[in-house]
Amino acid sequence: MDTKRPPPDPIAVLRGHRASVMDVCFHSSRPLLFTGATDGELRIWDTVQHRTVSSSRVHGAAHGIIGVATSPLIGDNKVVSQGRDGTIKCWDIEDGGLSRTPSLIIKTNSYHFCKLSLVKKPSTCLEQTEDASSVNASVKKSGSTTEHPKNFCDMKAGETVNAAMLDGVDGGKTQGGSVSTEGPKYVAIAGSQSSEVEIWDLNTAERLACLPQICNESSSSNSTKARGMCMAVQAFLPPKLQGFLNVLAGYEDGSMVLWDLRNPGVPVTSVKFHSEPVLSLSVDEPCTGGISGAADDKIVLFTLDHQTGCCLVKKEISLQRPGIGGTSIRRDGKIAATAGWDHRIRIYNYRKGSPLAVLKYHSATCNAVSFSSDCKLMASSSEDTTVALWELYPPRT
Amino acid sequence: MEDSKRKRREIESKILEKVGEVVSAIAEAKYVDQVICALHSIAVQLFPVDSSRLLGCIDSGFRNQLLSGGISSPFERDDWWHVFYHEAAFPTLARVLIYNVALDWLACFPLSARTQVYDSFFVKGPPIEVVQAIIPALLKNGSNKDTDVNVICSNAERILVLCLLGNNGMLQMAREFGILYSSEEFTNKMLKPDMLVFISKIAQLIASIPDKARLEAPAALSSAQFFKQVIIQLLAAAEERSVEICNKGEALDQSVSDGTFLFVGETFSRICRRGFADILLAEVVPRILGHVRGCLSSNIDFINHNLFKSKTNFQFWFKMIETIKDSYAVERLSEQLLHQLATEHVTDIEAYWILWILFHRTARNQASIRSIFVDKGLLWKVFPVCCLKWILQFAVLDCPPGSDSLKKGQNTQGLRDIVQRLLGVWSTRQFVQSAAMEQQAYVTAAVGLSLEQMSKEELETTKDVMPLILQGVSCRLESPDPLVRRMASCIALVFSKVVDPKNPLYLDDNCREETINWEFGFNRQPKQISASSDRIEKADDEVKSFLSELNKGVSSVDDDRKNNNVKGRHQMFSELKLVDPDEIVDPATLNNEYSSDEEDRDDDDDASENSDSSLQPYDLSDDDADLRKKVSQLVDLVGALRKPDDPDTVERALDVAEKLVRASPDELQHLSGDLVRALLQVRCSDLTIEGEEDSAEGKRQRALVSLLVTCPFESVAAVNKLLYSPNVDISQRILMLDVMIDAAQELANATSNRPRHQQRNLISTSEQPWFLPQSKGPPGAGLWKEVSETGTSLSWSYRYERDLPLKPSQIKTGKSRRWSLRSEKMQVNQLEYSKNKFPLYAAAFMLPAMQGFDKKRHGVDLLGGDFIVLGKLIYMLGVCMKCVAMHPEAMALAPALLDMLSSRDVSHHVEAYVRRSVLFAASCILVALHPSFVASALVEGNAEISKGLEWIRTWALHVAESETDTECSMMAMTCLQLHAEMALQAS
Repeated sequence: MDTKRPPPDPIAVLRGHRASVMDVCFHSSRPLLFTGATDGELRIWDTVQHRTVSSSRVHGAAHGIIGVATSPLIGDNKVVSQGRDGTIKCWDIEDGGLSRTPSLIIKTNSYHFCKLSLVKKPSTCLEQTEDASSVNASVKKSGSTTEHPKNFCDMKAGETVNAAMLDGVDGGKTQGGSVSTEGPKYVAIAGSQSSEVEIWDLNTAERLACLPQICNESSSSNSTKARGMCMAVQAFLPPKLQGFLNVLAGYEDGSMVLWDLRNPGVPVTSVKFHSEPVLSLSVDEPCTGGISGAADDKIVLFTLDHQTGCCLVKKEISLQRPGIGGTSIRRDGKIAATAGWDHRIRIYNYRKGSPLAVLKYHSATCNAVSFSSDCKLMASSSEDTTVALWELYPPRT
Repeated sequence: MEDSKRKRREIESKILEKVGEVVSAIAEAKYVDQVICALHSIAVQLFPVDSSRLLGCIDSGFRNQLLSGGISSPFERDDWWHVFYHEAAFPTLARVLIYNVALDWLACFPLSARTQVYDSFFVKGPPIEVVQAIIPALLKNGSNKDTDVNVICSNAERILVLCLLGNNGMLQMAREFGILYSSEEFTNKMLKPDMLVFISKIAQLIASIPDKARLEAPAALSSAQFFKQVIIQLLAAAEERSVEICNKGEALDQSVSDGTFLFVGETFSRICRRGFADILLAEVVPRILGHVRGCLSSNIDFINHNLFKSKTNFQFWFKMIETIKDSYAVERLSEQLLHQLATEHVTDIEAYWILWILFHRTARNQASIRSIFVDKGLLWKVFPVCCLKWILQFAVLDCPPGSDSLKKGQNTQGLRDIVQRLLGVWSTRQFVQSAAMEQQAYVTAAVGLSLEQMSKEELETTKDVMPLILQGVSCRLESPDPLVRRMASCIALVFSKVVDPKNPLYLDDNCREETINWEFGFNRQPKQISASSDRIEKADDEVKSFLSELNKGVSSVDDDRKNNNVKGRHQMFSELKLVDPDEIVDPATLNNEYSSDEEDRDDDDDASENSDSSLQPYDLSDDDADLRKKVSQLVDLVGALRKPDDPDTVERALDVAEKLVRASPDELQHLSGDLVRALLQVRCSDLTIEGEEDSAEGKRQRALVSLLVTCPFESVAAVNKLLYSPNVDISQRILMLDVMIDAAQELANATSNRPRHQQRNLISTSEQPWFLPQSKGPPGAGLWKEVSETGTSLSWSYRYERDLPLKPSQIKTGKSRRWSLRSEKMQVNQLEYSKNKFPLYAAAFMLPAMQGFDKKRHGVDLLGGDFIVLGKLIYMLGVCMKCVAMHPEAMALAPALLDMLSSRDVSHHVEAYVRRSVLFAASCILVALHPSFVASALVEGNAEISKGLEWIRTWALHVAESETDTECSMMAMTCLQLHAEMALQAS
């Protein structure tokens, strides 16, 4: 075990995008990788053959994609893309690639840089929810309700599309495009009021909640506005609070706020670890901690205690050059990765916060980093239009 | 008294009578024996003659006659001798002897007779009289070349050698003068001034002997040998005399006018005047040095002036210079002395004492001698630096030196005066401009060495010193010559050390050594007079020992290496031993090693710890080399260069500038002007860390050169516009000119492949019938042959065939392919290999730059303060001219350049730097013009060219004759040579 061995090179570099690749995301079970670029192109790659499976322009070239996401919670054959055109589109994955038309379009009317977040569910309770497979069909608009059963309705794609389209037409006019979903098929994004976080339902394309929960009122609380724009958001279901969606949001002034949807008016806790806008947030698999990257020169590993509702710094890692555009924690909770503005991907021991590797491949700002659910692969995307695949510390199985 | 006079007169008349007899006897003599007898008869009266030796060699008939002459008593003989030599008798007889006897009889004299009765008249006489008698005989030569004169002269020369050299004649003469001068008898008879005239007349005669001697004269009479002998004898006499005087107890100061000393001095001064001061010093220096060394070695602790004054054997040396009345001779002597001491490598202390012994009296008493050292020695002459130190120590500091450095005496007024005077000369701009480089270095050294001796207070109280230093340093720092700038920085360093020793001021990074080398690279070792072979041998030995050391060093290094190897192997072995292949390794222990430091922080269970241990970090080193933003567009480049507040960006832009420009993108043409301006205005010194300015400068310069090369017209227009702009400083102007020079040279050396215009043959012009296939093809192809049709007899087509050689590809297939429609072979045929692209752009380079160099504008004054730019400009024009050599453009551009060069302000510029560039440019013109152009211009009466070329010739001639700067005159000579060659080729 030579400690001086040079950092590894990517096992593959996926080229094909013609613009900065903003987000990258692995399929939960199949060897597929989804990448979205700023020219609106969504590509699906085969991570075994390292080839493009499909490529489609899902958002306008002028707007581009800022985020792509998949989750077993929304279905294995779905992928969600977020554009800077104020829409979120849900796509079906077909044999040859992506469906021609999105199964659902949510007009959020929010134009910002905050990547969406699907709900993260701890793997331990994932099975339960799947077993339960119950979805609360009756979606409450701008829910002040604190309880949302996680019933999972296995709706058909076509229905969803119809519903979404209908809703899109209606909701776009009436609600100013902010819909939020609670439960497994929800998506959390920064709202049209950029200091707010909105939860939209991916089935109905309706907004479920707004955090803080004053979005329908004319004035919002000063404290929220003082934090500035919401820059990063992560929704998750803490295992101990069965099915109550929590949202962790990072703001422009460097603060992080933990919301519990049961009480959308007041945050559970608010901490300020960073001095610059928080740009990315990741929560680990058991939802007891996470990592945050910001525009300042540090990375913070923190712990979340849902019993007491507090968030504490576990480890602060200072950087030579500021700016972390993306973070990710591997599912086994061993390593975490950050995508830096300094063109570097950095790997850390997640438990101890010690640095493990500095990966130099990209020749421009790195936008996102993501681990595959089998922990074997990592993908990083960068402004240099490439996506790099890495094999790091493979699990011993 | 009366009695002796009367007696003397009696003897005189007797002697005259006798001489008359002898002379008449000689005149009437028929045989040689008669002559011998006659001479013998008078000789016996004067000095003892060994008659018996004569008897054997003369005829028996004359023996009686020979013996009949009475032999007088020794006392009587002495009287006779005195009267004979000091009155009129000797000159009379001598004339007969020298002319008549020598001519008619001497050849017949037997050897013993010659020595006994002929030579002895001269040898035994007083040398003063003898010399006066003989030397006029030498004068006869040259008038007519007949044998008579030759005989007389050779005899006179022989006698001179015999008397002066063989018989210690000079020593006797000096002694005689000493006696004569002090004797009362003589004082009465002859007034002292007359005596002085007499002494100098004799000295003059002596010194003229080598000149008067014929070419065939004995070697002993050649200047060097003769003077050497004379000097040895005179020195011996002088030393003897000084001891005598000391013994008599006379104070040396009073006995200035001693006859011996006067004579010695007069002779020495004449020898020095004739340019043989070195011979004199070759004798003098070892003697004094021997004395001084003796004193120094015996009294190491206590040396002062009195020690030397008390020694009797120094007395003459103290007075020697004083006796040499001729100040020119003294000057020559002192100069030669310094050079000789320098070649002898005497120590500072010895040199000081030698100078002191020789010159201290005269330097104190005579202003002219003092000024030899203080004025000429410091300001006009150029000596080695060690001599300069001695001069300063002796004439300025006026006290014995310290062990290894100059030492300051009590009285510093002299030093202050000298510093003031030196600085007055040193600081003037004219001195910098016109003095020869050696002279400048020497005066600078003098200034520096004397400044080193001053204290801060003295410096402050001495008038004008500070402003003068400032002025001198600043006008030197502007000079284009690095040597001159170094002089300035050395003086500044010395000055700053005087003012504040802890805070030395280094104007130049290069001269940071502790001791300043005042030689400035001029190693002035005069020719050695005494070839000291032992020194060469020593040097040889040193070299040998050095070599052997070197060998030892090499071998020791080898040994070390071997040892290291061995050691290394041992280490490897020992390391290898540690690893026992059979050892059972517990992986847990290995893991513990790595995870031990983690335990304190990690509270997780053991399992997770173990699993964490698999996460070994990679090499975490990181540099930001790849993070620098790359400038990849010309527009970005221009923008990046104009960000003086962002040095990193500018540096990166400079890094890529040359590459980008060389790629020659389409927009270069439109952006070149902007780019030129942006590049020129970058302040490299601001954006780079200290010590790396050069690389940034280099990049900028290369970028500009590439710009001028890839896009000449537009860029050069921009450069020329900026050249006279008031908004750029001198360094930028120089940069522009440098860039133009480089670009011109690059363009001139450029090679380019250009497809040659292909001539296509018309069908009608081709030699072969149109219906025949073309004879193109690979080399070796055979002729076309018509293939006879076997089938039908009627055929509309002709078929031809020919043999083809195998294609190379059929034998051997290569991997490389050329992506082209045409084959390589064709390209070779069609490509024209063209060199020198510069003539096309020459006018654009040169003409705008030549306009307005003589206009004084705001911030631009090429003829005045900015002369460096002018010199560089002219140099650039010269290079351009050279780059268009042998092209017709040269003919068109030469008149304009010649017009500029020949303007008086340029060609007679005060700065040598400018004159040098003018000479260079003129030479370039001569080289550049094709002789046939010149010839045709002359035939056609092209007045500009012919006038210009003629101007070059006359001007170069003028420079070669009357230039102070050596480099200038050398260049002028080369220029003349080039002119001559050109004229030869053109005619």
